Amino acid sequence: MIARYAPSLLQGLWATIYITALASVIAIGLGLAVSLLNAMPFRAVRWLCRIYIEAMRGTPILIILFIIYYGGPSIGFTFDAEPTGIIGLGIYGGGYFAEIFRAGFQSIPKGHIEAAQMLGIPKSRIITRIKIPQMLTLIIPPVTNQIILLLKESAVLSIITVAELTKNTTGMVAETFAVVEPYVMVALLYWAVVEGISFLGRYLERKISYA
Amino acid sequence: MPDRNVIINEEVVAEPDVVIKTEGLQKNFGELRVLNKIDLEIRKSEVVCIIGPSGSGKSTLLRCIAFLEEYSDGRVFIEGKLLGYKVVNGNLVRESQSNINKVRRNVGMVFQQFNLWPHMTVLRNVTDALRVVKKMDRREAERIGLETLRKVGMEDKTQYYPAKLSGGQQQRAAIARALAMKPNVMLVDEPTSALDPELVGEVLQVIQDLASEGMTMAIVSHEMGFAANVADRVVFLDEGQIVEHGDPAQIFKNPQSQRLIQFLDTWKSREL
Repeated sequence: MIARYAPSLLQGLWATIYITALASVIAIGLGLAVSLLNAMPFRAVRWLCRIYIEAMRGTPILIILFIIYYGGPSIGFTFDAEPTGIIGLGIYGGGYFAEIFRAGFQSIPKGHIEAAQMLGIPKSRIITRIKIPQMLTLIIPPVTNQIILLLKESAVLSIITVAELTKNTTGMVAETFAVVEPYVMVALLYWAVVEGISFLGRYLERKISYA
Repeated sequence: MPDRNVIINEEVVAEPDVVIKTEGLQKNFGELRVLNKIDLEIRKSEVVCIIGPSGSGKSTLLRCIAFLEEYSDGRVFIEGKLLGYKVVNGNLVRESQSNINKVRRNVGMVFQQFNLWPHMTVLRNVTDALRVVKKMDRREAERIGLETLRKVGMEDKTQYYPAKLSGGQQQRAAIARALAMKPNVMLVDEPTSALDPELVGEVLQVIQDLASEGMTMAIVSHEMGFAANVADRVVFLDEGQIVEHGDPAQIFKNPQSQRLIQFLDTWKSREL
């Protein structure tokens, strides 16, 4: 039975992986942009960043997906289920990444910045040469964690009919009436991907430890 | 903006020999006045040591001179140029960051916590500002970087990351980083306070060498023996005020004020 559905499961697994990967790229990009904007001396900009972060953290991913999927067309944005899922997951994750990056920036000792200021290094270069590289090494563990969470949240995309791992498994359950085996199987598949991500995270952590 | 009772007309004071000058320098943290009417002049090639009990405002004084802290009143001049503010219709207005950088371009700073950048090797720590600020190409920057690191005895550690170095080595690398920019004056903030006792000597030696080469320096230090040796002038700060200043022999052998006598007594009893 598993063998008969293997192609469908593998297709779903692949979809889950690339959906998570694309959503993570969007989320990390957005998060970094928001955390940098949040450090700007303009109150209005900081306010908008804050609203975005709080909205993303305060809303279930499913509601965000519904709003984009069903609400999008009424303001002229019509997306297929899959891009909706990727974008939804991306902007949802962006709120969390923004907070991770903010914490990362804050844990850079103030003296490191002062040393750069005293050498006359301009502010923009302090951000790109000192703050961002240091912040990135500090945040690898929470970022790994957040990507794992996004992977698991991507299961919710099945509800708006994205053909990812959970959706395809549900299809298998509906057709075969077997429940436990497919879901245990799929749990193992998710777990395997999670292990892969945390392995990558640990590898990066070792690689950029600067010792 | 704090109230400023001094009306200022000039941004430039022409006294070619004076590298650093503070006039009525005052710094408040909220209600607390940490620096009160500090008048200080540091001349070319002069080494001034600032001593005093903890909390007396020594580090704050240095940080105000570096404009890492905005001062609340009075003025700071670096090589005759007003630091941190400009005069607009007789009022002081905060200067732009790039102009602040311009005024303190020739000021180097050494910190208690070294503040090397952990994600760069020693050599890159020393060459980064040369490349970004002085726009040198890589070879030129590395030539100067190596030369400076040799000066502080760190030429065999150029490819190490700071985490692999002892505190003394990190501080020497940090001194090299400041020196590579060819500053006219060095502000040195408790350079050995974060070091294990056996590493203090190597750092003080480097600073001593700089002094004998004629580097102008303001040094905050708890090492009284060192201050007595290296300083041309010693400033004793207590509760945000200069209580006494003079040459080291006078300060250490013949202190006048009760507070300095007391301070030196505590220090002596600790040394025994």
